[in-house]
Amino acid sequence: MRIQVRLFATYREIVGSRGLTWSARDGLTLQELVDGVVAKYPRLAGHRDTMLLAVNHDFAPSDRILQEGDEVALLPPVSGGAP
Amino acid sequence: MIDVRRARIDLEAVVDSVRRNDAGAIVLFVGTVRSEEGVRALDYEVYRPMAIKSLTALAERAKDKFGLTDVSIIHRVGRIPVGGDSVAIACAAVHRAEAFAACAWVMDEVKRIIPIWKTEIADRPDRVRRRR
Repeated sequence: MRIQVRLFATYREIVGSRGLTWSARDGLTLQELVDGVVAKYPRLAGHRDTMLLAVNHDFAPSDRILQEGDEVALLPPVSGGAP
Repeated sequence: MIDVRRARIDLEAVVDSVRRNDAGAIVLFVGTVRSEEGVRALDYEVYRPMAIKSLTALAERAKDKFGLTDVSIIHRVGRIPVGGDSVAIACAAVHRAEAFAACAWVMDEVKRIIPIWKTEIADRPDRVRRRR
């Protein structure tokens, strides 16, 4: 199956792209996907502890089982609003 | 009214969007880009579909929690110069205490959960850094 991975801010700069198309076996968990992305882009490893995860525009737990066509977002800690 | 937009925020329109005859108080919060040495602007980046979804849910939570008659949250994204408005929140309630409390709470939640990130744009290109 194919999963769309969206990247923002620092993560986008590290990977050099706003998004990836990730091919994976059925039953892949969000945790396993993140592990795979971090393995491919090791500079993300230092951000792993503060990384927020979303699936289809909602925050999601790392044991979430992904489905074909899901949109996963790797989100740095948010900083919106007033300075 | 919930929106994330690149255009300037029309504050009067934000206030009018929550104006109702049964609301005796409207509190407007405006977040602005603060001046810091060497910084001329902030770049705001957004994950738009999630931001709109999260802001819409946040507005409903605020109405339930504080008994608001209405709430609007507008966030500007893109490059905003020092002194520019980055976010506006208007909370309307029957009485002012609920409107004041809700406005502070909503802003804290915006900073905590809405997927928006900002980067300082410096006078010198070697001084770019992210701001929390």
